[in-house]
Amino acid sequence: MFAQQLFNGLVTGSTYALIALGYTMVYGVLQLINFAHGEIYMTGAFAGLLLVTVAKLPFWLALPGAMLIASLVGVTVEFVAYRPLRRSSRLAVLISAIGMSIFLSNLGLWIFGPATRSFQPPFRVATLELAGIRTNTLSLLTLGLALAMMTGLHYVVTRTKLGKAMRAVAQDRDTAALMGISVNRTIAFTFAIGSALAAAAGVMVGMLFNAVTPTMGVMPGLKGFVSAVLGGIGSIPGAMVGGLVLGMAETIGVALLSSQWRDAIAFAILIVVLLSRPTGLLGRRLQEKV
Amino acid sequence: MLGPLSGDYASYGQSVANGVELAINEANASGRYNYVFVLQKEDTRGDPVQALNAMNKLIELDRVTAIIGPVLSGETLTAGPIAQDAGVPFITPSATAPAVSEIGNYEFRNVITDDVQAAQMAEYAVRVLGLRRLAILYSNNDYGVGLRRAFEAAAVAAGGQVVAVESYLDGDTNFNAQITNIAARNPDGLYIAGYYTEAAQIAQQAALQGLRVKLMGADGFDSPLLIELGGAAVEGAIFTSGFFADTQDELGRSFVEKYAAAYGAKPDMFAANAYDSARILIEVINRVGPNRAAVRDGIAATRDFPGVTGVTTFAENGDAVKPLYILRVENGTFVQER
Repeated sequence: MFAQQLFNGLVTGSTYALIALGYTMVYGVLQLINFAHGEIYMTGAFAGLLLVTVAKLPFWLALPGAMLIASLVGVTVEFVAYRPLRRSSRLAVLISAIGMSIFLSNLGLWIFGPATRSFQPPFRVATLELAGIRTNTLSLLTLGLALAMMTGLHYVVTRTKLGKAMRAVAQDRDTAALMGISVNRTIAFTFAIGSALAAAAGVMVGMLFNAVTPTMGVMPGLKGFVSAVLGGIGSIPGAMVGGLVLGMAETIGVALLSSQWRDAIAFAILIVVLLSRPTGLLGRRLQEKV
Repeated sequence: MLGPLSGDYASYGQSVANGVELAINEANASGRYNYVFVLQKEDTRGDPVQALNAMNKLIELDRVTAIIGPVLSGETLTAGPIAQDAGVPFITPSATAPAVSEIGNYEFRNVITDDVQAAQMAEYAVRVLGLRRLAILYSNNDYGVGLRRAFEAAAVAAGGQVVAVESYLDGDTNFNAQITNIAARNPDGLYIAGYYTEAAQIAQQAALQGLRVKLMGADGFDSPLLIELGGAAVEGAIFTSGFFADTQDELGRSFVEKYAAAYGAKPDMFAANAYDSARILIEVINRVGPNRAAVRDGIAATRDFPGVTGVTTFAENGDAVKPLYILRVENGTFVQER
């Protein structure tokens, strides 16, 4: 049974990791906690739901579609709420992010209403048993997609020109600009990728839990943030590790204690890690730029 | 009648008012009674203080013989003692808080309490369905905790075994850890003490984990959304309910038709309980006359009254005792199992 709970946690954790990546990448390039990221996740879930139920697209088209839509929303948010504040204090951008988060979830409430929507997978889901662990094709697909996307992201960041630009902007925005890198385009690209990953998580979780609501982004958004900080904010492998660790710790906490403790456990872990390792599990100590 | 006719709970109060009005109009039109019954409605807005004022007005100013209401538990607990002290009998058609039955001997309650619902489901599960190993997954609020306690006690008393008890919070969406714990104990029945949104998700996630059990619940399941959200996963689930609008029972069917003709909607449990309460009052007043104390005794002496919500008898503590409907999800709709 312990193995079963670990597996449950792994699936949940892989979705946290996908969300955490968006936080950590944006933090890397802007030193901004993008609090609207949870709402991008919600947008992705609704986009996926509508593409499946209204547009009647097959899943393999609906998922990229939802990711694309969320990317556009993410880039728009950046353009509207963050870009004009590029030279303002970090606090101003943070407040703008919180405002965007509230705006998007209220917009969702206004468009879709408060009721929970059912999101039945548009394909047949089979349950199966693997090495004593009972699972199903949907959970395996979620886990597989998450791992594949993380690998893909790792490739993009370390092996492509765009990835190099992202890393350069993260290191020093002004010098990167002097080297001929379009900073705004790189930042927009970062938002696009982060939003697409969050949308993928939203679609998969929407189907796994059969529930999509305008407020669904709040808790996973916070959990993604915790995962990112846990792994070391700004570190991409850290976000992946942080998400998986958090998901498993939570599931085991619920299994051993009770579900009231789920969120308490998440934040307790955060506090403990920050006390013992202020830069997170895989974070590097950065010197404050003056 | 008093209850929330405006505000957040207006739909409950309106249903109660409709049920009472329908019963009174029918009685007056039938010509079978010695009295003409007059309905005096008072709005509580769902506010306990307002309920107090409304109760005082009905008693002192309108000098009513008896009262249907209040509707909500909170307003019943504040306004009920006023009626008790003034010696005015009242029947609440909907307040389910346990403390309501302690108000006094002028208080009557014509709604099945949560405890009774859970106990009847537990007995049905063990004695009729022959389920032996039962698991409980409850929502950690008053409703869920109360159901869980009563279900567990009744299941054990009936000879069943409660092998797992897990909880969740309203608004949770991930129930995998609890389901894994439950599945490890190999139950053959799962009682979900909570509301339809979470119940549908639990059913879905249990199916994804390959947990095959009989799903059971209480009136928190009673919404078309259970089926809409749960789909195939809730097929075969059973739950207790105080009223069933698609009943095959003749008395119930004629009530549903009359109600629909008068108000253009299917009656809900509030309307049905209020309708029965008003009919009980009408019969009693007709028999003993419009005397408050005599009416109280008459209500208390009610035995086997044929109501649309079942054959009703009032117990010593003023609570109605009547059989509950057990409904089942079949082919995406609710059908009557018992």
